[in-house]
Amino acid sequence: MELLEIRDVSKIYNRQTVALSNISLNVGEGEFVSIIGPSGAGKSTLLRCINRMIDPSSGAVFFQQNRIDQLPKKKLRQVRTQIGMVFQHYNLVNRLTVFENVLHGRLGYKSTLAGVLGYYDSFERRAAYEILAALGLQEQVFKRCDQLSGGQKQRVGIARALLQRPKMLLCDEPIASLDPSSSKIIMDHLQRISREMKITCLVNLHQVDVAIKYSDRIIGIRNGEVVFDGPPAQITPLIIEQIYGTEAHELILSLETLQPGQKSPVKQSEVAHAAC
Amino acid sequence: MTTVPRKPFDKSQVWLRTVLLLLTGVTLYTLMQLSAPDLDQKLALMADNFRLMFSESHFKHLTLLEGLYGIAITLSLAIQTTLIGALGALMLGLLAARNLAPHWLTSIIKSFVALIRAIPTILWVLIFAVSAGLGSTAAVIGMTFHTVSYLTKSYSESFEEIEPGVIEALRGCGARWWQIVFQAVLPTSLHPILSWTFIRFEINFLNAVAMGAAAGAGGIGFDLFMAGGHYLDFREVGMITYLIIAVSMILESSSIQLKKRLEL
Ligand SMILES: Nc1ncnc2c1ncn2[C@@H]1O[C@H](COP(=O)(O)OP(=O)(O)OP(=O)(O)O)[C@@H](O)[C@H]1O
Ligand SMILES: [Mg+2]
Repeated sequence: MELLEIRDVSKIYNRQTVALSNISLNVGEGEFVSIIGPSGAGKSTLLRCINRMIDPSSGAVFFQQNRIDQLPKKKLRQVRTQIGMVFQHYNLVNRLTVFENVLHGRLGYKSTLAGVLGYYDSFERRAAYEILAALGLQEQVFKRCDQLSGGQKQRVGIARALLQRPKMLLCDEPIASLDPSSSKIIMDHLQRISREMKITCLVNLHQVDVAIKYSDRIIGIRNGEVVFDGPPAQITPLIIEQIYGTEAHELILSLETLQPGQKSPVKQSEVAHAAC
Repeated sequence: MTTVPRKPFDKSQVWLRTVLLLLTGVTLYTLMQLSAPDLDQKLALMADNFRLMFSESHFKHLTLLEGLYGIAITLSLAIQTTLIGALGALMLGLLAARNLAPHWLTSIIKSFVALIRAIPTILWVLIFAVSAGLGSTAAVIGMTFHTVSYLTKSYSESFEEIEPGVIEALRGCGARWWQIVFQAVLPTSLHPILSWTFIRFEINFLNAVAMGAAAGAGGIGFDLFMAGGHYLDFREVGMITYLIIAVSMILESSSIQLKKRLEL
């Protein structure tokens, strides 16, 4: 069985806004999947229906044989420890240190009291330090989070998610607030995480070129429906048009033709492929 | 030539202006009605009393030590009511914050504390005096009551300021409610919570002075009442007022100092 199975999931907000309609997809272990689509397509809603930060209106979500949409609260908390989340705005507790924020990844495993008091054992503390070091943050461990740059904050967010020892990461536009070089660092880390640690990554992205470069598979969403699901090699201008609409396609193309000297992080062959 | 389009008609603006105009009219009218045959004399007498109070202040029925003792009693009344009130308000504030508690509960608590707040502290003290008798007990209960409702509102509003994403992130880690409260909500809102508590402490100090005079709660307020109402000694009233002002200023500056320390 797949790690994640989404079956006929729909989400209707306030009885009128249809954010997702009958989405079905399976995701296997260690896959790196990008979800692209225009603003308001339902990407964030889809991610949040997976760990039930949002309750789907109908349909079923299976994760490791657990039917998430019917789990009782306590079991749901246990399953959530297996799913890490990374956010566009990092969502760290700014007044606490990097170390404390990363250790929050353990809260789901702890007794209420230990978590309340912020008591973590030496294994957890060592693991937190090792993860931070692997992400190049050993200098920042005891800094307060509001003293970090955006790229550093995002790495703290990733470290917190990794300390959960998750099977899967849900990343909601992890690089949307970052400059190109920080973006590259973050995407490289995510790619390593999925390849080396065999952690499945589901990443909402706004940059088609980044999605093409990093993903094993791309899912295109428009108006709450899956309009494309396949490997990056299958992305064509026609498909981009189907996902984003005509104007967006022209915009993307003109951007690429306007800046011939600038090398995008995408391999040139892939750009050619996408643009042909 | 282009013309700037006219600002659309705004009903609330019209209302605001009408009300302001009305208020101005009422004020002018009452000022004109204000006439006393011996207004000059009365003003002169008042000025003289003020001069007595503040330029010839002295201790007579009271020693400085007794004055300080009165201040200490009033301060402890303020500290006690603020501390108990803050503890109660912390719990209620969490349950009244819309990002931490279900909607029905937050609206119940919010309207309940709004009701309590609508009635002034002194009335609560008098209400409790019916059952507890005039004195410090009624003052403590009444002041605490009002403090709880005041701080519940301020705290819950500080909690609601927290970025929803931070709470979402911890829920996503599988954290429980109490863990989220202690690991994210309280650290983030520590600063506003302390500020509000200090503001309420200053209010409670002044309330405690008034309660000493009006509700027999003792302390410097009672001394003030005796000096003014019993011995009719304006000079002593002035001295006690100086003492109270000095304490208020010390409280103010120490709260600023504390906040500065915590900002680091
Ligand atoms: N809490 C909510 N209440 C009501 N409607 C919502 C809510 N959240 C999202 N929506 C609506 O659901 C639809 C999908 O929103 P969603 O945030 O999932 O889109 P998205 O693809 O993540 O967009 P973006 O790329 O801008 O982040 C939108 O029409 C949005 O207005
Ligand atoms: Mg989104």
